[in-house]
Amino acid sequence: MLNYNQPIKEQKTYQGLQMSEINPVMKLIIRGKKREFLSAVGKSLNMVLPTKANTSTQSEKLTALWLSPDEWMIFSNSVVKENTNTYGTETLLNKNICKLNLGAVIDVTDQFVRITLKGDKIYDLFQTGSPFNFNEFRYKIGSVTQTIIAKVDVIIHNQNQNEVNLFVRRSFSEHLFSWMNDSASRL
Amino acid sequence: MFLINCPFCGEREQSEFKAGGEAHIERPKQPTELSDDEWAEFLFMRKNIKGVQFERWNHAHGCRKWFNIARDTSNDQIKAVYKMGEKPPVK
Repeated sequence: MLNYNQPIKEQKTYQGLQMSEINPVMKLIIRGKKREFLSAVGKSLNMVLPTKANTSTQSEKLTALWLSPDEWMIFSNSVVKENTNTYGTETLLNKNICKLNLGAVIDVTDQFVRITLKGDKIYDLFQTGSPFNFNEFRYKIGSVTQTIIAKVDVIIHNQNQNEVNLFVRRSFSEHLFSWMNDSASRL
Repeated sequence: MFLINCPFCGEREQSEFKAGGEAHIERPKQPTELSDDEWAEFLFMRKNIKGVQFERWNHAHGCRKWFNIARDTSNDQIKAVYKMGEKPPVK
């Protein structure tokens, strides 16, 4: 974690909705097309990457989100030790993927901010600013989508019933969070 | 406003996409041998017809992949969606 400043400093609570940042969490983007890439990632992390569109897979320590046919995001389920900038997972993937020219591994820990939303009003909030149809998404635990909320690009992961992870670029996170607070106060 | 069925992500709203202009325009094999008029024809001239047109689209706010669609420009109906490199469906 290079940047120790949390862009979102407080937890906000509304009726049926809670929002806060989870920090620091390791986040990686991995890209690759070959079949060897998929099996190398599977062997290194001891988990299968989701190949079906808009889905995710989870192991004890990591979650992998499908972003595109050749792109995945991997993040750690629990918070990592704060004063570190190197991650075992990244080093392992660098060795087993980048060095063998199978694909690319990029550390995006500082690029993305993970906001967690809890409560039964999450999708009412999203509906106020997103063109995505959440009707099926909300009942499929583990589903993932990339879409826009209030013109900001986001990755949304349905973690559990009434519990959602939202990934947004750091530079947009403060604005999006304040927009969501404004919108949530009027639900 | 209309829905586009992204071949990778499924049906999404148009505002998630960016239009990339007419599809299946082949770059001349020997650009240096072309006259200015022929080069301008390749570079700038587009069909812009009323009816079914083949277009490139990019799912900019989703999977960021390019693909082609056949769209009726008069009523925004999408007749077909197909991946890059695939042949256009016959009208």
